[in-house]
Amino acid sequence: MPDPVRFSDERLANGLRLIVAEDHVAPVVAVNIWYDVGSKNERPGKTGFAHLFEHVMFQGSAHVAKTEHIALVQAAGGTMNGTTWLDRTNYFETLPSHQLELALWLEADRMGTLLEALSQENLDNQREVVKNEKRWSYDNRPYGTWNEKLQAHLFPPEHPYHHPTIGSMEDLEAASLEDVGDFFATYYVPNNAVLSVVGDAETDRVRAWTERYFGGIEARPDIPPLGDLSLPPTLGSERRETVEDAVPLPRVYVGFRAPAFGDPRLDALEIASHILAGGKGSRLHRRLVRDERIAQDVALFTLGFVGGASITAGWATVRPGVEVERVESAFHEELERLGREDVTDDELARARALTESDELGALSRVDERADRLSMFATLFDRPELINEMLPRYLAVEAPTIRDVAASVFRPDNRVVLTYLPAGASKPAEAAA
Amino acid sequence: MTTVVAERPTPGLPRPYEFPDFRRDRLPNGLDVLTVDVPGRPLVSALLVMPTGAVDEPPELAGAAVLAARALTEGTQSHDAVALVEATERLGASLHADAGWDATTIGVDVPVERLEPALELAAEVALTPTFPASEVDRLREERLNDILQARADPRRRVEEALIETIYTRESPYHRPSAGVRETVERLDAGVLRAAYAGAANPVGAALIVAGELGDADVRRLAERLFGSWSGGQAAGQRTVEAEPANRSRRVRVVHRPGSVQTEIRIGHIGRPRRIADFHALSVTGAILGGLFNSRLNRKLREEKGYTYGATASFDLRRGAGPFAARAAVQTAVTVPAILDAIAELEAIRSAPVTTAELTAARDFLVGVFPLRFETPGPIVGALSGVVIHGLPDDELARYRERIEAVTAEDVLRTAEANVRPSELQIVLVGDADAFGADLEAAPIGEITIERDEPAVAPAERA
Repeated sequence: MPDPVRFSDERLANGLRLIVAEDHVAPVVAVNIWYDVGSKNERPGKTGFAHLFEHVMFQGSAHVAKTEHIALVQAAGGTMNGTTWLDRTNYFETLPSHQLELALWLEADRMGTLLEALSQENLDNQREVVKNEKRWSYDNRPYGTWNEKLQAHLFPPEHPYHHPTIGSMEDLEAASLEDVGDFFATYYVPNNAVLSVVGDAETDRVRAWTERYFGGIEARPDIPPLGDLSLPPTLGSERRETVEDAVPLPRVYVGFRAPAFGDPRLDALEIASHILAGGKGSRLHRRLVRDERIAQDVALFTLGFVGGASITAGWATVRPGVEVERVESAFHEELERLGREDVTDDELARARALTESDELGALSRVDERADRLSMFATLFDRPELINEMLPRYLAVEAPTIRDVAASVFRPDNRVVLTYLPAGASKPAEAAA
Repeated sequence: MTTVVAERPTPGLPRPYEFPDFRRDRLPNGLDVLTVDVPGRPLVSALLVMPTGAVDEPPELAGAAVLAARALTEGTQSHDAVALVEATERLGASLHADAGWDATTIGVDVPVERLEPALELAAEVALTPTFPASEVDRLREERLNDILQARADPRRRVEEALIETIYTRESPYHRPSAGVRETVERLDAGVLRAAYAGAANPVGAALIVAGELGDADVRRLAERLFGSWSGGQAAGQRTVEAEPANRSRRVRVVHRPGSVQTEIRIGHIGRPRRIADFHALSVTGAILGGLFNSRLNRKLREEKGYTYGATASFDLRRGAGPFAARAAVQTAVTVPAILDAIAELEAIRSAPVTTAELTAARDFLVGVFPLRFETPGPIVGALSGVVIHGLPDDELARYRERIEAVTAEDVLRTAEANVRPSELQIVLVGDADAFGADLEAAPIGEITIERDEPAVAPAERA
């Protein structure tokens, strides 16, 4: 079991939550800010905006020129990035510990003064960059549309998880400077952020620096709340779609509506996913890839979201000459069997041992600890979950797995996407 | 009213950092044992490195080393594949075997208190693999299917097209390290057994173990598990053909109808790893295409918005690996993006880089060094490079001072010698119908367009 992460947890007068966890093993420090805003906060016609905005955050602020943020961090020997997802936008730097103050200053400057450096030219530039990110990550990639399609089927059109974080080309095209200004004023405020600092730093100095750099940024008392995102626990009926794509091998994607992140049943579902598809000892791999040799590869994983429901999704790539239907039914059989029969003690013991090692590895990095502290504080107001999740996973018992599998892995709760090689269904053309 | 501090803070005093001390012992059979105690890191990484890889295999059996490594965990004299993975998982360990161009490796990551039983399994895999014919047949089929998948993925397709273009057929680097259809079809259990026998030699190999080892006696453990290991033949260390396939600038287009982006690769043969100017080459690569504000990324992404990212790098192997600039650009700007990239490749060798660029690159490479080695895995990885390339033991300890010593003149000289605009091969995977006319009109080089790329596998079409 990893040593518990010990941390301080406080708020500045403007509402910024500061969490500091000292660890002096290596001369490195991680700075991580979660803003409680993600693609779920986007309005109709503005899909993809939260992510486009994240790009704009690297285009300079009152005292930082375009591209200078990254230049300064790299020249300090640091690494950095930002990510946007359904429930969050985060920004982070990992640096040699004597450069910590620089990262705090940079984050504060853009939290306080982003709009002072905003220009149409920079917005247009990043719009093109993001459109190319969409092309590169989704549109020009074999099977690249699966995520967008699964989300659209698993969540109703009025739910903000219905659309993907990357958004649509039309909406990206429509994003304006005014949108940037509104979004910044609404969500990029200290009382909507959690700042975590983990590593070789003194808590008192971090507190003083945070006060100095972030203390003068004004809060916004009236951040508009999201509406009720709750959903029925299951889809109600199976949804199927066949997609022709420029792929040589058919692939079956399966997605399920799953319990929300934070619900202990999702912990059990994660252990279940591990037993089903976590490596070469797992059930799906053994049956579909090793024994029956009908699939080239298999996967199953959970994507945890707090707004009503999560996603459990997976796939199997169909070997040449094998009936797609055979692979699909074997996949369903293994998932549904988990809802009828308890997993074995040995399967559970192996899943627990690997989960514990994974945590040991993940928590040995300051960046991961900082990200989890920010995450648990933002989503659940409980940063101490960083120390509670592993015991929760280890406490998952066979009957809990059976129960959650029985409620999630049901035909009336699944989406099936079947990717077929384009033209394969038209033999005359294929023979040409 | 929001107020922020205008004045940029100055850095504090850096805490001293050294690459972790490691101890090297040699067992009587020639196996080196490298141990690194990393306090606070109870998840230990162990890696057995055998410096024989895909570059050493006969060309007609390309892919044998990679497939042999994949087959290592498919069965040993004591465990079949499933029993082996189950035994590994019960320890909370992950066991992996891989081969690349220069080496075959068997690794295990495990909590330190279970290091001994996990290393026992790794040793079993190294010393008594059985290469069961039925599992080898499955792995070969999976690789053949993967070759189909690679052709449909523009990123993988363009990398394969690049190496086919810049290396002659006589070079092993002409093909992927995992082989091509004709050679993979020849791989069976006997071939893999022979390929691995050629790699499995304690002389020249090393067991590298890093993590919170405390008083664990890794040398004694290594002696017990690997002491009786004796090699077949001595490692080949074959030299690698590095004659360019083309000496004049050419454009090769793999037509992918409807592609919304063009994958661009611009390159030629680069350098091997063991060279005197490695550090100057590293700084040059960072300025040209490594840093976020590298010349290529600044131009193609931050000025033009043509791409999500543009990079350039030297792939340093035992022999001269490829040098390439890379970007995926929206189809309509394919030709302007190529011209911009070539202009940057010309500029880096025409005038010294600015002091700001030089300092940024050196400071990044020096400063990020302790971050790279926060956990045992990357420490083991870096030491495996020392073993594979026969570098001196102080290579990593001296890395930062050597980077610090690189000057703008060094960068200019390095760029002049290693970036050769007249020899660049421009390889594209994209919709040639959309940019073909622009390409014809641009003075880039002789153009070949390949239009016979089936999106669907022959087996699927039947």
